Amino acid sequence: MKSIRVYLLLALLAIITLVTFVSLLQGYQSSISKAQQLFDERLQNMAEIIATANQSVEPQISNGFIHSQTVFFQIWHNDLSLLARSKNAPNVLLTDIDSATGFKDVNFAKYRWRTYVLRDEILQRWIITAERTDIRYTLAENVVLASIVPIVLAIPIAAFIIWLAIGLGLKPLRNLTTQLSHKQVDDLSPVEIKDTPEELTQLVSTTNDLLTRLNTAFIREQQFSADAAHELRTPISSLKVQLHNLQADNDNKSSLQPLAKGIDRMGQVIEQILSLYRHSPDQAMLQHERLELTTIAQQVIAEQYDLIADKKQKISLSNTTTCFVDGDQFALETLIQNLIVNASKYTPKKGEISVTISVEGDQLRLSVEDSGPGIAEQYHQRVFERFYRIHGDRHDSNTLGCGLGLAIVKHITLMHNADISLAESASLGGLKVDILFPQNKEGSDV
Amino acid sequence: MQVLLIEDDTALAEALTRSLKHEGFTVNPLASGNQAITSVKIELPDIVILDLGLPDIDGTEVLKEIRKHSADLPVLVLTARTSLDDKVKGLDLGADDYLAKPFEVDELMARLRVFERRSSTLKHAGLSIGEVTIDSASHQVIVSGEQIEFSRREFMLLKALMENSGRVQTRDSLESKLYSWGEEVASNTIEVHIHHLRKKLPSNFIKTLRGIGYIVKPI
Repeated sequence: MKSIRVYLLLALLAIITLVTFVSLLQGYQSSISKAQQLFDERLQNMAEIIATANQSVEPQISNGFIHSQTVFFQIWHNDLSLLARSKNAPNVLLTDIDSATGFKDVNFAKYRWRTYVLRDEILQRWIITAERTDIRYTLAENVVLASIVPIVLAIPIAAFIIWLAIGLGLKPLRNLTTQLSHKQVDDLSPVEIKDTPEELTQLVSTTNDLLTRLNTAFIREQQFSADAAHELRTPISSLKVQLHNLQADNDNKSSLQPLAKGIDRMGQVIEQILSLYRHSPDQAMLQHERLELTTIAQQVIAEQYDLIADKKQKISLSNTTTCFVDGDQFALETLIQNLIVNASKYTPKKGEISVTISVEGDQLRLSVEDSGPGIAEQYHQRVFERFYRIHGDRHDSNTLGCGLGLAIVKHITLMHNADISLAESASLGGLKVDILFPQNKEGSDV
Repeated sequence: MQVLLIEDDTALAEALTRSLKHEGFTVNPLASGNQAITSVKIELPDIVILDLGLPDIDGTEVLKEIRKHSADLPVLVLTARTSLDDKVKGLDLGADDYLAKPFEVDELMARLRVFERRSSTLKHAGLSIGEVTIDSASHQVIVSGEQIEFSRREFMLLKALMENSGRVQTRDSLESKLYSWGEEVASNTIEVHIHHLRKKLPSNFIKTLRGIGYIVKPI
């Protein structure tokens, strides 16, 4: 059903037409039979009047006092001689004369006629009156037609009024639809409809109930995320500090290396899970603002510099002009951080990482290239899946990871209406990650 | 250096106390915000390490109270929250630095040393890295035993880099340290100053990260 309004309109019009048609048919039939009866009475009366008025038994041809082409009479003697007739009547016997008086239908002169035969016993003669049948029908049809025309003309008007009435009746439903469709992703406030009709009460209350529950769940999940973050990060910090103390006391530092790696990995996985959770498109409550991408990239690289310096890698950032995007600062920081950390992680020592920000028409391109081994093309789609690592945990680079980094990156690009693609870096030979953001041009010359 | 450590997690507080003592700090660990406020009022420590998630009062309240009492006491905020709002709020309320859990102990120590250097340039005016020594009181720079003249801006730039040695300083952050808000700064101003600085300093003393910023590595 495409539209309730159209459906109701068509159904109602069909019903109205059907009912009208049936009642018109009924009316037509009863009009015809009533007309029959009236015309028959007239024929009969006419015969009786003629019988009374004309007492002659001598043949006489009248000049015809009936001028109508549709009605005539004949008077026949018992010996079948024509005593009298109207001017337009034939000279032959129009109908069989038997003993009975009565009505009959006969064909004559291409028309069908209704005849009435009156037996005049006293004067030994027959009086026949006749009338064309089609005339009767025409009259009856005219009567019926006169009542049909206004109804047929009224149907379009009825359709228009029905259309308006249905529209008015469906207004609360339309209202509800508009409210729901205009809801922002993060707006979980209940919908409100003035004078909710009975039929919608349940729908509105169920929808509101659902929204309330969703909101509660949302708040609870956010609370959980914050609590979990705190409850997990503090013990990991504690583990790290204790390990540091242990390393300071212990001469054989290499024996603690696996422990350090384990703690780092646990910390990373927790961070990534929390971050993935925070940045899933259905969870995120973003506060978009106009941000300068280069500044964010500079800050993130500066914060991650220890990591890069440890592997003696070279990093550079180049940009042509100030580049503004609409985005969430924290999400964009996470995005760039994940790309930089990934690049550094999978690029060997003394390798090179290059970050480029450029303007391309209406878009901004953020590219992160490295001189690492890159990612074979058959994995380009799969690496964005959660917990997917190429070759599982036996990754060639022998580095720690949980396979969430690029999944988070993908989520963040989705939230910013940005496109991400992987390729081989032409200049450095490793992986090239390209992200195209829609540019916020408003006052970009500032 | 007297460090006031405000952290409610006993395991972390104990471990941190040991690490800090090992690095030569004197540590006073406290587990509640109210105790911390009282303690600051009685005796000012040299550095405060403050965890924002405290059982009795919010860490940001403690920070406000500390700031009422002393405007220039260096406060390093530790937090398990990472959202940007908290970060901005913490810095707005007057935290000098911010470290998200879980952190590397080396990173914490590096930041504490920045505080230390800053307070030593304030109090004793001298700060040395390798062959370079600066004296904020007399605005003098001694390179390899020789006194060299620097312009005011060049001196401030060098000071900012040396105080934060080991940490990358972005062009933006250096600009904000050198120029007051609203002052016109040409896009290559910092590059020009660095270029002049380099001529007077040992080679590779200031390392450039192309497009990002500059770093002076601690020796």
